Amino acid sequence: MTCPHCGETIAAGDVFCEACGTDLGALAGTAAAPVPVGVDDAHDDAITAPSPAPSPVTPEQPRTHLLQPGGGSGVDTSLPCAACGAEVADDGFCTVCGHRARTRREHWTETHGRAGAPAIGAVCDKGISHARNEDAMATALTPSGLAVVVVCDGVTTAPDSDRASLAASASARDVLAAAPVTTGAFAARLSAWEPVLAASCRAANAEAVAIARTLGDPPEPPSCTFVAAVVEADLIAIAWCGDSRAYWLPDDAGSAGSAGSDGGDGSAGGDGEQLTLDHSLGTEMIRSGMSREQAEADPTCHTITRWLGADSVDPTPEFRALRVERAGWLLVCSDGMWNYASGASDLAALVARAVGDGADTPTAIAESLAAFANAQGGHDNITVALVRCEPPRPGTPLTTT
Amino acid sequence: MAEFRAEVFQNEYLSDGATDVHGVVSVTCTGAGVAGQASGTEAAEVIIVDTSGSMDMPPAKIAAARRAAKVAIEEIVDGTWFAVMSGHTVAQMVYPPHPGLAKMTDVTRRDAVEAVGRLRSGGATAIGAWIAAATELFQQAPAGQRHAILLTDGKIEGEPDGALEAALVNARGKFQCDCRGIGSDWVVEELRTIATALLGTVDIVAEPADLEADFEEMMRNAMSRGVADARLRVWAPQGSEVLFVRQVAPQVDDLTSRATRISPLVVEFPTGAWSDESRDYHVAVRVPPAPVGNERLAARVEVVIDDQVVAKGLVKAIWSVDTNLTTRIDPAVAHYTGQAQLADVIQRGLAAKASGDERTATVLLGEAAKLAHDSGNEDTTRLLNKVVDVVDVEAGTVRLKQQVAKSDEMALDTRSTKTTRIRREP
Repeated sequence: MTCPHCGETIAAGDVFCEACGTDLGALAGTAAAPVPVGVDDAHDDAITAPSPAPSPVTPEQPRTHLLQPGGGSGVDTSLPCAACGAEVADDGFCTVCGHRARTRREHWTETHGRAGAPAIGAVCDKGISHARNEDAMATALTPSGLAVVVVCDGVTTAPDSDRASLAASASARDVLAAAPVTTGAFAARLSAWEPVLAASCRAANAEAVAIARTLGDPPEPPSCTFVAAVVEADLIAIAWCGDSRAYWLPDDAGSAGSAGSDGGDGSAGGDGEQLTLDHSLGTEMIRSGMSREQAEADPTCHTITRWLGADSVDPTPEFRALRVERAGWLLVCSDGMWNYASGASDLAALVARAVGDGADTPTAIAESLAAFANAQGGHDNITVALVRCEPPRPGTPLTTT
Repeated sequence: MAEFRAEVFQNEYLSDGATDVHGVVSVTCTGAGVAGQASGTEAAEVIIVDTSGSMDMPPAKIAAARRAAKVAIEEIVDGTWFAVMSGHTVAQMVYPPHPGLAKMTDVTRRDAVEAVGRLRSGGATAIGAWIAAATELFQQAPAGQRHAILLTDGKIEGEPDGALEAALVNARGKFQCDCRGIGSDWVVEELRTIATALLGTVDIVAEPADLEADFEEMMRNAMSRGVADARLRVWAPQGSEVLFVRQVAPQVDDLTSRATRISPLVVEFPTGAWSDESRDYHVAVRVPPAPVGNERLAARVEVVIDDQVVAKGLVKAIWSVDTNLTTRIDPAVAHYTGQAQLADVIQRGLAAKASGDERTATVLLGEAAKLAHDSGNEDTTRLLNKVVDVVDVEAGTVRLKQQVAKSDEMALDTRSTKTTRIRREP
């Protein structure tokens, strides 16, 4: 089981999360649902120790803290300070520059990989301006070689959206990772995935709604966006709700080849491509004739028209699929990333630059992209997940059962 | 076993680019026990009674000093090392008869009480020599709290200029000293210098009849300080500057100049012995700004005993563009900023008055009347009302009284540093 607040592992019967102190009793039967991951090679390569999510800071709270020596700060003090590289003290602050060490909820990575399966590298980062990390992600690589990536971006204007996004992404990931392997024709496999993706979105929505209930159904219920992607051999299937995105970034972008297209006969190749279309006012503006640049400059561009949560009017996802015919990257991200590089070619250039700079794992590349967003100001939470996609070798069966 | 806790009161939110972080660290000690009772420590007490010629004018003063010394001796707990000296042109042993410390028992207590009954006045007021003699006595005391009471009725005379300063350099850190002035012929600044250097209090006892009770209380307080020596350790980040560290309750005492650098980022301040009590410290640090959204520690404030950290408070900075957060001033910081300012304007106002600059005195003491009123500092308001007539307290307008008792001015001066605690919501 994992804590619905910070994602840390908890034991059945725990009353409080040992990492962040969330009252699990109050959430019993709702958000603290079991999360069978079933992935044996998953590891977090950046932060491995339990650490809590920061408690939300609201202006009403007295600005008083009571600390005793050795008081738990919830950060991993074995890691050096992210700002200056010096030692971090027990109190969670750097011993030299004083910067607060990031908690696991504020920055973590997920890495999966083994021979013959798609490699996954993902990073979820608080960014700079926001006080909390309301983004969340959940990834998995199943024993059968299915890669799963889910990204949820909590809506900042609703308190506790960080809890909603984390619980939602984890539950969707678990639905997808437990799905049966599909076989047969591409179109048939695709039609098998659509209902599973829809189910994962429903599971995610149920978590967000459950958290609102534990909070006594506040007028601004916690809510989040949703984008889920599965990579099964040569098949990429995506579902989304809101403005978190997926892109296809082939290695040979810009060279000859047909662009990926919709539907069961879709193929991936040619230029990089944004696979999702935001459910946002920005999209509506472009649809009504505005240029992309004009729309993105509009302050209401980011107002989303679909989301998950208790106050969602339409929590149903849209679908997209394509066939992997050439090597490339599937990139799934929140707007904290694409705000600074919204075109597929811009993102492809960032990936290429990261590789050129020596990033030799998907996680290292994802970290490089998040660092780029932070260098541009980091005005929002940043989530970047990359799945390495290789076309099946001729003669190899598409899937194994 | 003594326990310390530190609580921080501050607004951690800074606007974009802001650098100055203020916090009030409230340190509370409980279970302090009794002086000299903690393992490995023994307490030592020295009572210095002014027996200069003026103590006979009127004779009530020397009589009050005898009675006060007696009750102080009676308050000293068994097992404490102690001595009584009479101070005039030199410092002279009263008890024990030869330079040294005696261990308190029923027998030594009785003998010491008998000895102070024989105190006679005559000679000058060489306070520097008294401090030097007390320092020598304390050299013989084992490790533990060392405390002295110094009583005088006059200004320093009969010793070269600079004798006091030289004696204080030598005495600093070796013992704490509470100073009392009896009557109104002594100099506030002289006793304040001693009390500040030796981490003690200073006060006026205008009426000889009040001395006995004052000594009793002072010694009882000293005996309740079961924690011999605590230090305040302040860490501030690289590239920052500690603007000040100021004790703000129960009285204002600027510690900044008393910093000892422990390491490049850490300084320590002596705080002396502790009883079951609470002291508040206002810490101000100028830190390099970080981008909006960043959080950085501005100060780690630790209470250290025998190199062990026994309590820690964190003063933080979070940069934000939310003006609802960044424009609030923490009530404790605001209150104690006002109290420190109050002490400052009173002392400067009285100095201006003494130098004949009535205009400046009127402005400053008017400001003091307003600050004391606004912060609910009733004790200071009462003392001020003996020196000025308040015309408009909201505006801070006052008139200097034409007839002011010198002792009232001295009381206002010595007690100007006493602060009220902020009224905290439960």
